[in-house]
Amino acid sequence: MRNIGDHRFLISEFAKRLGHCFLAVLLLISVLSLSACIRPRSRFEPGVLRVNLGTEPPGLDWHTATDSTSFDVVSNLMVGLTQYTNKLTCAPSCAKNWEVLDGGKRYLFHLRDDLRWTDGKPLTAYDFEYAWKRLLNPVTAAQYAFFLYDVVGAREYNTGKLKSAETLGIKALDAHTFEIRLRKPATYFIYLTAFCVSFPMRKDVVEKWGDRWTEPEHFVTNGPFKLTKWQHEYKMELAANEGYFDSVPQVKLIKMFMVPEASTAFALYENDELDFIDNRSFATPDVERYRNSPEYKNFPLLRANYLAFNVTKKPFTDVRIRKAVAMAIDRSIFPRILRRGERPATSWIPPALPGYSPDSGLKFDPVAARALLAEAGYPGGKGLPKPELLYPNRDDVRLTVEATQDQLKRNLGMEIELVNQEWKVYLATVRKDAPPMFRNSWGADFPDPETFMNLFTKDCGNNDTKWSDPRYDALIEAAQGELNAAKRADLYRQADVMLCREAVPIVPTFLATQNIMVKPWVTGIAINPLDLQFFKDVVVDDSQNSQTKYGAR
Amino acid sequence: MFALIVKRILLAIPVLLVVASLTFVLVRIVPGGPFDADKNLPPEIIANLNAKYHLDKPVPEQYLLYLGRLAQGDLGVSYKYVNRTVNDILADAFPVSLQLGTISLTLAVLIGVPLGAIAAVCRGRKEDVIAMFLSTLGISVPGFVIGATLIFVFAIKLRVLPVGLWESPWHVVLPAVTLAFSPAAYLARLTRASVLEIVEKDWVRTARSKGLSQWNTVLKHILRNSLIPVVTVLGPLTAIVITGSFVVEYIYAIPGMGRFFITAVMNRDYDLILGTTLVFAVLLIIANTFVDLAYQFLDPRMRIED
Amino acid sequence: MEIVEKAKMPVVAPLDQSVMARIRRIPTAYIALWVIALICVVALLSFMGFSLCQYSFDQTSSDFLAGPSGQHWMGTDELGRDLFSRIVYGARLSIAIGLTTAAVAFVIGTLYGALSGYLGGKVDTFMMRGVDIAYSLPDLLVMILIGVLLGRGTIGILIALGLVSWMGTARLVRAQFLQLKNEEFIEAARAQGQSGWNIVFKHLLPNALGPIIVALTFTVPSAILSESTLSFIGLGLSPPACSWGTLASDGWRSLRAHPHLIFFPSLFIFITVLSFNFLGDGLRDALDPRTRLGKKSR
Repeated sequence: MRNIGDHRFLISEFAKRLGHCFLAVLLLISVLSLSACIRPRSRFEPGVLRVNLGTEPPGLDWHTATDSTSFDVVSNLMVGLTQYTNKLTCAPSCAKNWEVLDGGKRYLFHLRDDLRWTDGKPLTAYDFEYAWKRLLNPVTAAQYAFFLYDVVGAREYNTGKLKSAETLGIKALDAHTFEIRLRKPATYFIYLTAFCVSFPMRKDVVEKWGDRWTEPEHFVTNGPFKLTKWQHEYKMELAANEGYFDSVPQVKLIKMFMVPEASTAFALYENDELDFIDNRSFATPDVERYRNSPEYKNFPLLRANYLAFNVTKKPFTDVRIRKAVAMAIDRSIFPRILRRGERPATSWIPPALPGYSPDSGLKFDPVAARALLAEAGYPGGKGLPKPELLYPNRDDVRLTVEATQDQLKRNLGMEIELVNQEWKVYLATVRKDAPPMFRNSWGADFPDPETFMNLFTKDCGNNDTKWSDPRYDALIEAAQGELNAAKRADLYRQADVMLCREAVPIVPTFLATQNIMVKPWVTGIAINPLDLQFFKDVVVDDSQNSQTKYGAR
Repeated sequence: MFALIVKRILLAIPVLLVVASLTFVLVRIVPGGPFDADKNLPPEIIANLNAKYHLDKPVPEQYLLYLGRLAQGDLGVSYKYVNRTVNDILADAFPVSLQLGTISLTLAVLIGVPLGAIAAVCRGRKEDVIAMFLSTLGISVPGFVIGATLIFVFAIKLRVLPVGLWESPWHVVLPAVTLAFSPAAYLARLTRASVLEIVEKDWVRTARSKGLSQWNTVLKHILRNSLIPVVTVLGPLTAIVITGSFVVEYIYAIPGMGRFFITAVMNRDYDLILGTTLVFAVLLIIANTFVDLAYQFLDPRMRIED
Repeated sequence: MEIVEKAKMPVVAPLDQSVMARIRRIPTAYIALWVIALICVVALLSFMGFSLCQYSFDQTSSDFLAGPSGQHWMGTDELGRDLFSRIVYGARLSIAIGLTTAAVAFVIGTLYGALSGYLGGKVDTFMMRGVDIAYSLPDLLVMILIGVLLGRGTIGILIALGLVSWMGTARLVRAQFLQLKNEEFIEAARAQGQSGWNIVFKHLLPNALGPIIVALTFTVPSAILSESTLSFIGLGLSPPACSWGTLASDGWRSLRAHPHLIFFPSLFIFITVLSFNFLGDGLRDALDPRTRLGKKSR
């Protein structure tokens, strides 16, 4: 017979002790949490700007960088011959003035006398010459080398056909004069000198430190900020450059965090742990709640979203079907589901640029679309094969293509199959053998229609639609060299009509917008349609709201 | 004991070799190379890049090159972070993950074991039901949902804890608790099962009847013996913490290895994928070895005779 | 759930009607069984094309992101699709994923474990090393790699999930076989001259079935949860396919603004996983003759 009493006593004692243990742990946790409540927390630090980069920049060497994150950082660390103003004109920067000679085939830049690098050494035209030649050097394997292909000898040198860099049209005539010779006149060329890839570089630093030259301890730059700290995949710190030749920034420190998850970043902003956020930190539903807040701003970008066809694949070999698709999509659905004030677009050149016309493309007309489809042999969508629409793996893209799928089914009776792949795989697939339909987007590299229109020329490596037309190419070629602004705009407009109304290898859908939120204690955030983020004019001060608050809010 | 450690290390080497080879194969078969970037890439440039990273050589040759490097402790170079070696990257990320993982495991033990024990001794009563409900909750809800709820309650509504990042000790609390949920739940269920078994055994009464009226000694007996299964599952628990860390590090923007692994996979950053996989495998092997060693000390047969 | 199995391997008891009777006595397991049955019925009906609500799962509307109301019982998503209908549709996907993974784990695990346990000796050691290696890789890691390799499709996900779930079953089966093959009735069968295959399939396997089924009952919830984590990372199914995991991870971003988008799918995941776990617990207790199920344990 067991002695049950013993058993019970043991158990109850045990339970009591364990219960105490457990309660102690719980109490500890609550005490810690409570003390967190009363710890002093200030809402911001004067002179310090905290932003979210989203992801880690793959590298800060502006010859090997290709993505907007790297460029966002570099454009605060460096300046080039010219610089973009917020109205997207080219203002003098390192170059105090320049001359355009030989009908636009020769540029002569005169540099300022007071240019210095962050280590004190003077900045000369030889630094520009070194940098441009390094960009084109095949050994550098710079993915943006094509940017300077207008320069004499550039393409040949970069593809290995020209062995020596001596005959390139890039020369520093002396320490303050920099000469460029082009193959043919290019009216947009001056914009390229404001873009990151054309910034100067220090030969001695790069050659001494090799791949590590962009680490904070070795990095040498010339812009309003300098890199002081880099905790990979976490944050970067930029300090104001006291030796900057223009006005030294008022904000003393920029902390750039790398928070990939948009809702976390947004919550950080709401919690006053970030001072400025943009699209990277917005999840679709968040815009709704803040639309009326004074901290919110929305402005259009020179970034176009579009649907592209592979015109060599059925059923899109038939231009009537492509036109039918273009006319069957009601673009106004996109701003309604994406909720960021997107601008519906039916033509390729954005409204802000010359050459734009609202009638260049095909408008939404489901009746005409159905008629065209019937004419092509598929009345009501019967008998139409089910083409594949490929898209990259992102939340907002998913919404866009699902809406497109729904629109086509409803307005045209056409069924499409959605296939998604991750970003890198998607790019590879589209490049090698694009599927019948794919969703793509293109952001302007500089504020000129050329950056949009040359995308669909025969030579362009990014033209995955497999469409080309010699008349289109001729129009673009003529426009590139045309010096008269009005004539040039008209040439581009004609090309746009050909693209969006007649041949329809693409269906423009909408123009993206930038959404930002700025805390009340931050002023001077630069906003421009090229999505360039310059922080040199930012001021973070405590004149308005109270600086510190005690107690839980 | 020394012999055991040596034996384990020797056994670990072929395991690691197989792991490295498997991952190598998997990663190479995956479509999409590391240089399919977003802008214009003339084929000559792609060729240059591929040559630079030996990607143009036949795969078996790349495999041998890789093994050779591994033997020297060189985990390779990252394609995305062009000026950093994998060793550097992991050296920065590993301590972060280690801190987070250790704190989470400790929390899990501190919460799970007492919870399970209470449930066991109050078997059938409401404490048992509540405790078991809580623990089943912990293993029935996906990690990101737990994280979302915790962030919502503590960071956003109550504003007592930070939403994310890794700036101060306060930043550890929410991620560690989120990560500890699942292992704590497992431990609770496990402890309950094993304490139940022990408490109903005769030798407990025997020990008491032998004059061990000090309930402390009995407690020692019960706890030590019910801790054995807990220690044995430390291996799988480490695995749970590692996989949980992927999601937690992502949600809370913590620069740990899990986050690097995910971004490496997305970027097809071969060497970084292989490097992180190997580190995780090593961690698991160490955990399992520790379990075997600890078992020596906690062998129940040695204790019962006490 | 491998952990709990390792700590407490149930002793074999034959599957017969008394099992159902025992399950009835465990209230949680009994209720869980009915809940699972209900969900499976709904999934099956949905699969066979019966529409259980007025909207189709991919039917968009202009009523974006509405909360629960009389019109839409669980609200709508960003494209105006009714969430309830999507959850019903998701039931079939999630259950299918769970059951298929269990089936894959069953086939691979049982074959592997049976072979290893029956043959014993060097073969057994070698094969168990294989299991050790499989255990050395965190399962999510393997799933991510395989998911990326095979692309986003149902087959890819199922293969990835199956490949990380078979080890527990294999170990269990092996342990059972090792234990059973020295029993008297097996000796008798061998003495009768029955072939190896016969012994394995007619005698050993049926007796080992109990714990195998328990293990599989735990594989299902694990698979459902893993699938939702994969969706969260971005490797789940492609639209418009929507399992509960996809729905929950899509709704994650709207947590503060529209919590219903993550709440309802998570609730269903929770209920299903909970039920399977309770059922597994109950089955284990029911099949284990050592637990005192006949007596009141108050």
